[in-house]
Amino acid sequence: MEGLGLDLPTFIGQLISFLILLGLISAFGFKPIRKMLDERSKRIQESMEMAEATKKEYEQAQAEVQKRLAQSQKQGEALIVQAREIGEKVKEEAKSGARAEAQAIIEKTQVEMKRDQDKIIDNLRREFAGIAILAAEKVIKESLDKQKHLRLIEETLEQSSLLRKH
Amino acid sequence: MTEKPSHKSPLKLILIIVVALVGMSAVSFIGGGVGKIIFGGGAQPTGIFAIHAPKPELPAERPFCPPGEEGAAAGKCKYSFFTNTMITAWISIAFLLFLFITATRKIRLIPKGLQNFVEFFIESAQNFIDDTAGKEYGRKFFPVCVTLFLFVLLNAWFSLVPGFETIKLNHMPLLRNANTDINTPMMLAVVSFCFVEYWGFRANGFHYLKKFVNFSPALNGIKQVFSGQVKAGLGAFGMGLITLFTCFLETISELVRLMSFTFRLFGNMTAGMITTLVIMYIVPWVVPSIFYGLETFLGFVQALIFGGLTLCFLALAVTPHEEESH
Repeated sequence: MEGLGLDLPTFIGQLISFLILLGLISAFGFKPIRKMLDERSKRIQESMEMAEATKKEYEQAQAEVQKRLAQSQKQGEALIVQAREIGEKVKEEAKSGARAEAQAIIEKTQVEMKRDQDKIIDNLRREFAGIAILAAEKVIKESLDKQKHLRLIEETLEQSSLLRKH
Repeated sequence: MTEKPSHKSPLKLILIIVVALVGMSAVSFIGGGVGKIIFGGGAQPTGIFAIHAPKPELPAERPFCPPGEEGAAAGKCKYSFFTNTMITAWISIAFLLFLFITATRKIRLIPKGLQNFVEFFIESAQNFIDDTAGKEYGRKFFPVCVTLFLFVLLNAWFSLVPGFETIKLNHMPLLRNANTDINTPMMLAVVSFCFVEYWGFRANGFHYLKKFVNFSPALNGIKQVFSGQVKAGLGAFGMGLITLFTCFLETISELVRLMSFTFRLFGNMTAGMITTLVIMYIVPWVVPSIFYGLETFLGFVQALIFGGLTLCFLALAVTPHEEESH
């Protein structure tokens, strides 16, 4: 064995060197790289899953949007129809209101005109009665006292108003 | 040959190169140490071919101890602890650590450069190990197998760096392939052996020891004999003896692994070193390059064998033994 160079101190020295190498290379070489490799494969898997999920979500969202669009279109159409109906109704109401108002104005005017007419006719009659009495006075040449005169007017008016009422 | 002229000139060039190389090697052979003896002209080789006749020594040299001193080989001088193989081993270790620490210093999720290269190596090694040992143990066996591989490989390849063994101190090479010092392969074999036994014991518990010593079948046979079943008992006792013998063989084979590991690596590497030295002496030019290429391959193969066999033995050790159930 001496000829081969077997030597215990050398052996132990090499053993310690190798064990140091084993320890350090495992801790600072293999471990971080392994961690990195694992992390990378995890990340890739995650991102692939995420992409899949995103795709699904996108499809879902698109379907939802399509549905919503159709829904809102329907709703819009319904709204337009409703608005048209309301407008129609409002127009109708406005028309009938105006008609009623006009009718009221006409009626009021007619009433007023009637009243004025009556007043005028009344005045005319009163005047006419006065004139008629004056004429009759002259005719009978008889001067009536003031009280008699007034009574005569009232009588005549009463008669004429009675006449008018018929 | 009916080749186009454009193809002819590279062919010619190759031919010229081959002829030149053969010529160079022939000239160097004639001028070298052996050629001089064969063709006459004295025992001394011509100037530029004057390469020292190889005097390979199996024990590692201790370059810090002057050879003249009394008992230098036995390790009596001050720095006798340091052999040239040890220094080389340290360089390999430093290189490996530098490589891996540089690669992982600024480790990034998106690899670049050195990190990419190291990751590629690690991943390939991991796949190789997983194929043999399975996913569960693959990760646990990884550090020791890969470190053994890298250490053997680096030592082997370092010795192929031109000028490697020409650095001399006290007329001794300062650097020498660590694998050619029997202490290194033996140390590696012991490490491998220890890891194998450790994992075998850890995976199977005390059951693992039954692989080496198992009296229970023989004792069962004796029990049967005393309880009256003489014939069956004797048969079982015989089988028990066979089991004991198998255990003995297992133990021997386990220990032989140590020897085979040691001498496979040591023998191959030393043979490679001596072959290169001898070829360099006989034909100093051109031909050694071929042997250098061979040595590169051999170093890789030896490293692979060392790491791979350790892996195989580890995988064998952790598989449960079902011999008791027979």
